[in-house]
Amino acid sequence: MHVGGGFIVFIVNFLIRRLAQGVIIVFLVSFLIFTLLRVIPGDPVRLMAGGMAPDHVIDQIAEDMGLRDPIPVQFVRYMGGVLQGDLGQSFIRPASGAAVGGASFDDNTRSERAEVFDLIADTAPFTLQLALLAMAFALIVALPVGIYGGLRPGKWPDRLALYMGSLFISLPNFWLGIVLALVLSVNLGWLPAIGYQGFAYTILPAIVLAVEIAPFLIRSLTVSVAQNMRENYISVAAIRGIGHRRIVMAHALKNASVPLLNLLGVQFSMLLGGVLVVEFIFDYPGLGLLTINAVLQRDFPLIQGIAIVTSAAFVVINIIVDLVATTIDPRLEY
Amino acid sequence: MTNISNIDIPAVDNVQALTIAQRVVLGAWRSYEFRVGFFVFSAMVLLAIFWPMISSIDPLKINIRAKLMPPAFMGEGWSWTHPMGTDQLGRDMLMRSLVGLRYSLLIGLTTVVVMLAVGALVGLLAGYRGGLTDTILMRITDAQLSIPMIILAIAILGVARPTIPAIILVLGLSGWPVYARVMRSVVMAERKREFVRGATILGASDLRIMFLLLLPICLPPIAFVAVLDIARMMIFESVLGFLGLGVQPPTPTFGNIIADGRKYLVNAWWIATVPGIFLFLTLISLNLMGAALERSRNRVHGGEA
Repeated sequence: MHVGGGFIVFIVNFLIRRLAQGVIIVFLVSFLIFTLLRVIPGDPVRLMAGGMAPDHVIDQIAEDMGLRDPIPVQFVRYMGGVLQGDLGQSFIRPASGAAVGGASFDDNTRSERAEVFDLIADTAPFTLQLALLAMAFALIVALPVGIYGGLRPGKWPDRLALYMGSLFISLPNFWLGIVLALVLSVNLGWLPAIGYQGFAYTILPAIVLAVEIAPFLIRSLTVSVAQNMRENYISVAAIRGIGHRRIVMAHALKNASVPLLNLLGVQFSMLLGGVLVVEFIFDYPGLGLLTINAVLQRDFPLIQGIAIVTSAAFVVINIIVDLVATTIDPRLEY
Repeated sequence: MTNISNIDIPAVDNVQALTIAQRVVLGAWRSYEFRVGFFVFSAMVLLAIFWPMISSIDPLKINIRAKLMPPAFMGEGWSWTHPMGTDQLGRDMLMRSLVGLRYSLLIGLTTVVVMLAVGALVGLLAGYRGGLTDTILMRITDAQLSIPMIILAIAILGVARPTIPAIILVLGLSGWPVYARVMRSVVMAERKREFVRGATILGASDLRIMFLLLLPICLPPIAFVAVLDIARMMIFESVLGFLGLGVQPPTPTFGNIIADGRKYLVNAWWIATVPGIFLFLTLISLNLMGAALERSRNRVHGGEA
């Protein structure tokens, strides 16, 4: 890191470089998903128009929507829209709500189709709330277990961290979700499980998600705390007369938090995968449920929109993670 | 990776005679977790392989008269014919779970082999060649890392037909980037060392150096950690099955049995629970072995991850 004005220049350079790389990544992702969806067999128009629609109607709709053009032409047209902030319209969902995939092809009562952007913007806050709560739960468990494990390598706190990590990572999230719903919701009646009618409905899904995240946090914390405690600056700090508590809290933990942050960036996609499954089990109205439904209904514009938004989120989160990591540990240069 | 020969190893003569891989396995074997995991895992694998051969029960045979029987000692109407109970169509839960375990293991193992092969190749090429090859390969890797793997998997399997090879290919192809990254960094470190330069001077071709010199050194430390990924892939396979995007019924898999059992959760809790327990036992044994191997590898390689 540089001092004063140099630091600002460094930050600006860093942001420009990383954002440029990010744009390329998002572009590649969109192209990949776009091509895959069109190469793979399965005609979405058939689903949109209803099974009974005659072939000429299907061809007509496909023609109107430009789905019979060459893939590169379609892609350029699509990206043109994306650059103007237009993610297109859902194939299937009407603006009013429920899906109409099965409706008859000549049904004129069918309303305007929903904007992909609106669908994502409506569901994203729910997912964010779920993810943040899950992260909080995971940290509450992982911080004490992981730090203790790292401070006593080879002793029982270390074993506890190992066993707890192995146990949590071996619980398939969908199975755990079902079992917890059965025990906590059906049998004991402590927590509501299905749907969303208030904050309480976030708790159970968040617990399941936290169990999935916690092992990674525990493992990363144990390893990095143990590594930091072996470093010279820790033993020197003790000679300098700094108390043990302060050494652990202010010095070792501060440096051990860098790998934890990086983990957050790398494991973002895993978190999203977990969100998908958990939202599906608990019928939680977030981005994950939207994604699964979009896939099952072959709603191409929606799948593409979600892929673009998630890869953009991935890029942004990784930039933030690296920025924060540099401020914590100035030796890191990105 | 540090120079192995420079690490201070307690001077026991026969230790030096072992290869690094053997030392890692031996080190893991000494830990209690590894042995427990190994025995549980072996028991599960043997059961999954041999029980369906020995037993005369057909996992697909419907017997309505014997439907919804609870597991042994767990309520009224159980019998030794079906020690784990039966499902809503009177099919034996033990047999269905074991057949599910077969598919799960098959798909988990093959997927990790595909992941490892693709990842190691990309990483080897990128790390050894460097320059433009490296940049292009790594940008592709980054792009793929930024697509949540499960979205990719369900997008492909949801739109195409989920057959077993398709599942293996999709999971394998979406999981390789991490291996590519690790492999690349290891290869980049090794490539600058003496023996590679020596081989180059002696006229060894690039292919020879990559596959005969670098690969045997760089692959084992990565392959040990891949044990953990077998467990991860088995979870993915069951998630896909649960979403209806895995191996299709009537073939029983953990995912589709549990998805079925969810409907009968209140009256017949065992339909969803029994396969879950089999899956959990297999996963935890794999994870214990994987964790022990990883720790042992880190010790052998001087604490480097």
